[in-house]
Amino acid sequence: MSETTEQTHRGNTIGFWFFKTFLRFGGLWTAYMLLSGVTLHYWLFDRKAVKSAAAYLKRRFPLNSKVLIRFKVYKLFFSQGKQLIDRIAYISGLVEFDFDFLGQDMLDKVTAEGKGFILLTAHAGNWQLSMTKLNRFNKKIFLVLRSENNKAVKKALNINEESKIFGIISPEEHLGGIVPVVKELNNGNIVSYMGDRPYGFESVEVDFMGSKANFPYGAFAIAAATKVPIVTALASKTGFKSYKVDFTNIIKPEYKGRKNKKNQLSEWVQEYADILNNFFEEYPYQCFLFHDVWEIK
Amino acid sequence: MPEKQNLEEIRQQLKEELIENLSLEDIEPKDIKNDEILFGDDGLGLDSLDAVEIVVFLQRIWGIEIKDMEQGREILVTVDTMANHIYSNA
Repeated sequence: MSETTEQTHRGNTIGFWFFKTFLRFGGLWTAYMLLSGVTLHYWLFDRKAVKSAAAYLKRRFPLNSKVLIRFKVYKLFFSQGKQLIDRIAYISGLVEFDFDFLGQDMLDKVTAEGKGFILLTAHAGNWQLSMTKLNRFNKKIFLVLRSENNKAVKKALNINEESKIFGIISPEEHLGGIVPVVKELNNGNIVSYMGDRPYGFESVEVDFMGSKANFPYGAFAIAAATKVPIVTALASKTGFKSYKVDFTNIIKPEYKGRKNKKNQLSEWVQEYADILNNFFEEYPYQCFLFHDVWEIK
Repeated sequence: MPEKQNLEEIRQQLKEELIENLSLEDIEPKDIKNDEILFGDDGLGLDSLDAVEIVVFLQRIWGIEIKDMEQGREILVTVDTMANHIYSNA
C-alpha cells in the first residue's frame, strides 16, 4: 500500500479504474467500501508491507501487544488507502475538499525574498496534496525523485512533460542532480525533497520516537550552501472531506563557521525529525513511512 | 572577480577555496594535483554535497554559472577542468 519501490507496482491501471468508477458513481463512501476489501487482501497476504508498517507501530504504541499491532496495521493501511482515493478524487476534480491552509503569511514572506526554497516533505499524510496548494506562488516545483518513484508520483500529481507547475530532477544524475537543483533555487523556484529517504545522500542518526533512526541531510546541506530556507509541508486528513495543510515549520540552515558541518547538519535534521514526531503523535495513522528508518546501517 | 589571472594562479586559488569551503582537514594546496579526480572513491574523494559547495562558490567568487548537467559533467572533474573553464570565461 505504500509508495516505496516494490509497492509502486501494487496499484495497477485496472485498480485505479475501479476506484475512479466507484468515485464517479457512488462518491467517497463507496470507494472507501471497495477499499476495505482491498486493504484486507494486503493485510492478510503482503508480509513485507505488514512488517514495515509494524516497525513504525511498535514504536508509536510500545505497550501494545503483537495482536493489537497487527490490527493497527490494518487501520494504517486503510488510512493510507483513503488518502490515495482522496488524492485521485481531488486531482480528477470528482470531489471537493476543504483545506485549512496554515502558514500562508510565512510563505508569502519567503517567496517575497526572490530566491527559491526547498520544500521538505515526508511519507506523512497526503504530502502530494500539499503541493497542489503552492500553485498561487507562480513558481515551478521540481521534485527530486528517483526514476523508480517517477511513475507513481507523476500519476498522483498528474504531471506530464508539458507541465508548467511540476518538473522532475533525478538524484541519479551526475553528482546527485546538484547542478539543476542549485540552478532552480537561484531561479527562484521550489525544489522538493523527501526528508525521510536518503536517495543517494548520506544520512545522520537522529532520535526518532525513542530510538535512533537514519534521516538524510542532503536537503539541509543544499539549503545551507545556497542560503535558502527549508519549508516543511504536512498535509493531514482532519475529516471526511477536509485537510489541514501546514507550512508553518520553516528551518533556516546557516553554518556557524566552516568546521563541524556534519554536527550542525545533524541539529537541523533532528529539528525536522522532531516536527515529524509531533505530527505522528497527533495523527498516528497518517505515518506512511513503510520503511524501517530505525534500521541503522 | 579579480583581474585576469593566469591559469596557474587560478588553479592555486581554486585549491585554497576547495580546502576552505569544504573544510578539508590535513590537506594543503600542494597536496591536490591539478589532474586529480575530485569526486568518487578515486582521487580527492569528494561527494555530491561537496559539489553543492563547489557549484555555489564558483558562482559567488568566480561568477561562473553551470548551466546544465552536461556542462557540470565537463567542468566539475578536476582542478584543471575548473580552472580552464574559469580562464576561458574570464
